[in-house]
Amino acid sequence: MEEARTDAHVGGARLSARSRRTLSVAGVVLTLLLLWELYKLVWSALGWTHPVRPDDVVMPHTWDMIIELFRPVRRGGALLIVDLAGRSLWTLREAVLGFLIGGVLGFGIGVWFVRSRLAERAFMPYVVASQTVPILAIAPMVVVWGLGLGVPGWISVAIIAAYLTFFPVAINTLRGLRSPDPHTLELMRSYAAAPNDVLWKLQVPSALPYIFTALKVTATASIVGALVGELPVGFQSGLGRALLSFSQQFAVQSKKLYGTVIVCAAVGILLVGGVSLLERRLVPQRFAEGEATA
Amino acid sequence: MTDLVVDAQRVGKVFGDGEDRVEALSEITLRIEAGEFISLIGPSGCGKSTLLRLVGDLTSPTSGELTINGKPPARARTDRDYGIVFQKATLLDWRTVTKNVELPLEIMGVDDRDQVASRMLELVQLADFADHYPWQLSGGMQQRVAIARALTFNPSLLLMDEPFGALDEMTRELMQQEVLRIWAETGTTVVFVTHSIPEAVFLSTRVAVMSPRPGRISEVIDIGLSQPRDVDTRESRQYYDKVTQVREALRRQEAQE
Repeated sequence: MEEARTDAHVGGARLSARSRRTLSVAGVVLTLLLLWELYKLVWSALGWTHPVRPDDVVMPHTWDMIIELFRPVRRGGALLIVDLAGRSLWTLREAVLGFLIGGVLGFGIGVWFVRSRLAERAFMPYVVASQTVPILAIAPMVVVWGLGLGVPGWISVAIIAAYLTFFPVAINTLRGLRSPDPHTLELMRSYAAAPNDVLWKLQVPSALPYIFTALKVTATASIVGALVGELPVGFQSGLGRALLSFSQQFAVQSKKLYGTVIVCAAVGILLVGGVSLLERRLVPQRFAEGEATA
Repeated sequence: MTDLVVDAQRVGKVFGDGEDRVEALSEITLRIEAGEFISLIGPSGCGKSTLLRLVGDLTSPTSGELTINGKPPARARTDRDYGIVFQKATLLDWRTVTKNVELPLEIMGVDDRDQVASRMLELVQLADFADHYPWQLSGGMQQRVAIARALTFNPSLLLMDEPFGALDEMTRELMQQEVLRIWAETGTTVVFVTHSIPEAVFLSTRVAVMSPRPGRISEVIDIGLSQPRDVDTRESRQYYDKVTQVREALRRQEAQE
């Protein structure tokens, strides 16, 4: 809030909205880093070990985590960050494919249910039930079945990511498609509009804000799905593998695990950022002007 | 009688059945000729909106005969005989004023939409706001866009359900003037639901006074004020007399209960 005020004072109205956001993000990150280091400092000085030991294994210095990214993974190997970048691409490919499959599937289910109450009543319980099954339980099954059918491992992982994506998208699509004012539907009726016109000219545009809310949530969920899905596949290429092996070596390699976590988060932010960018293009910023002048 | 637009014979509407049975309209007989401006007035629950919705095929009668331009209402709807304006403007937020006005034409597959739309915006005097978005307009302007949208495809019947109910008194009087001008220019038949006596008298050629439980038309009053009507009309003796006549008709049915 403080930054926002000084910034608004310095910059023009249009510039301030964006730089205010950047500043607040930077502020939060900086505060978290400070709290981490402060905890280490105070707890070490007083000799406290609860709730978390402040030593350099459990809680390495923040800068050490970053520095670790620029050290070789193993003697003579590539830098950790280079290794993780390659893995990120691999995981991102699975996540994005899963995100797309899940998004399309969820949208399709939403449209189907809004058009047929019968379908909604018949299948909604199964859609809901599907989400109570833990992803850890179904991931190995999907991979094993996939291998049996000759499906490449990374596609099976994408399907696991899609499994986490489709549900929120379906629910939000359904809600969004039902959001138009009943009078607007009556107007469409008075124009003798075809169901497809009602869908594409009224319901889908009304649903876009709802759909994008779901897409932003599921962008991160699809990354989680991909990471979890990678474990039973057993390939060496993804971020999931790195998380697994570094966590097994936590007692000696904790900085590598922290570094990997940071990279995973960055990949998630990247995907959510991409969705936000698309949202800004597709959804008219109804209050954009009001925000800029506020 | 080719110029009979609405012909309702003993039309009734019942909602629900058994315990929940509500008779919303009973024995409605009403004939509206082309070019008329008819207002439906009455207390809440008298079924005036329901009658409008029956005419517009947004719901179906449970008894009686109803024809629009000599056709069943459903046929009239698919022939696009209706333009409808509700109390809320119900414009689409993501479309500009022009694109909102073009919407019915888009759905009907009409060409040269931008020309029709700009002509309609001229008609409602909003040409300067063609590229604005709905939320940038005042309530009165939004309602004018809704009227333009309802008229783009030249419907033979314009149905208005308390279109100025949410507007302040000043805007309301301006809009009434506008509607009369548009009515004169287009020659459309208008059915107008309102609970304002002065509004009904000022606008209409005839006022149908309705009473509740079950909804009936208790009286139809010829207004017969000269056209065009303006501020002077509102201050005239005849206008005052007609307002009194409608008010007394409404009070008579209250007394009957």
